[in-house]
Amino acid sequence: MSEFNSAAALSKSQPKSLAAFLAAGAERARFWRPEELSAIFRHQMSAPILVDLGGFDPATSVRLKTLSQAQSLLLKSFSDLFHHPVPPLELLSITKDFAKANMDHPESSLPHEVAAALYYASIATALVRLDARISQLKDAELQRGLLWAKDQPWVDDPTREILVEALKKIPPGVPPEGPPL
Amino acid sequence: MSSESSASSIFPRTDWAGLGRAADADEARLDALIRLYWGPLRIFLVATFPSLKDQADVLLQEFAEDKILKEGWLRRADPNRGKFRDFLKTSLRHFVLDRLNRADARHAPVSLEELQQELPGPAGPSDEFDLTWVRAVLAETLRRMEADCRDPASDQPRRGFIWEMFRIRLIDPLLNDAPQTPYDELIERFGIKSPTDASNLLLSGKRIFKMHLARVIKEYAEQDAATAAEIQELENFVSRLAKRS
Repeated sequence: MSEFNSAAALSKSQPKSLAAFLAAGAERARFWRPEELSAIFRHQMSAPILVDLGGFDPATSVRLKTLSQAQSLLLKSFSDLFHHPVPPLELLSITKDFAKANMDHPESSLPHEVAAALYYASIATALVRLDARISQLKDAELQRGLLWAKDQPWVDDPTREILVEALKKIPPGVPPEGPPL
Repeated sequence: MSSESSASSIFPRTDWAGLGRAADADEARLDALIRLYWGPLRIFLVATFPSLKDQADVLLQEFAEDKILKEGWLRRADPNRGKFRDFLKTSLRHFVLDRLNRADARHAPVSLEELQQELPGPAGPSDEFDLTWVRAVLAETLRRMEADCRDPASDQPRRGFIWEMFRIRLIDPLLNDAPQTPYDELIERFGIKSPTDASNLLLSGKRIFKMHLARVIKEYAEQDAATAAEIQELENFVSRLAKRS
């Protein structure tokens, strides 16, 4: 049984609404509004790691499962991963790759800004918790990215703390100007 | 006959048995097409010939039977020579002019003079026709999309959610001025596991919408290339109109 009367909905639609609807219906149009980034980032941090990273090849998926359950760590979410005292390095690296893939893909299903924050958070976590560098970025580029991420108003405080701590581990220098995205 | 009539054929007086079997498919398709686009055609007719307002439905009925259902009419709508919509408008306009000319020959020469005075300006009726056409195309697209998504035989899990998400996220706010549903409410309502999951639900909706839009347009634009061009043309048209308003 149809609950929606499409003819009635369209009968009085003005050209502006129709144009906006057709533009929003395009596959490449932004899915989410900027004011929703906070809720989306929060959701991303609480999302099950295996749901998002499970899209990798079968071997990686099995490895992910092992890693996320290793030593009874039970890393269920990205938040669990970033805020664990000794997170598995490999899992951080896979998370970074997932975020990078979403940053680089023009039709990514993750908002570009959220993907970028996830990317820098995974690098920052490796630096802060494990004193490890999982990115090839130069110091200035990394500094710029971490600064950008920590300044985003929708990033939660615990993640911001990791980003700030990571910045302290990078030798002081002048970061390149402009956003890293 | 009005635009609300859609339950049965708009050609109740058509002698279907008398039509050639080879033409049956064409006739049935044209019947459906004209039923779908009766609204735009009526608007164009009334806007072009205001004095014929009271006879609009009868004239359209006659136009459909005498012109459109005439064998070979559709084949003359060559996509390479212009849009189907323009061909339909020109045909209707010529049909009415011809009717008035014939009436004029039988009676006093009043109709023709009136007609000369009320010949349409190029933009007005045509824009109104095209706008109503876009509405009809989108209404039919959304109707089919909803039916498709709600089809219980579909083996795609959460297909009903795809429609609901598309409606809540795009249709209601953009076409009905409804407030945007907060993201948190969406994830709770649809049991969405991650932002990627949410985006994929929406992306699926956009793809299903696009597929049905192409199918609806292809039914009159015929070829794939012409369908893509027509989609672009309709988008450009509403954008132009939106900028003017």
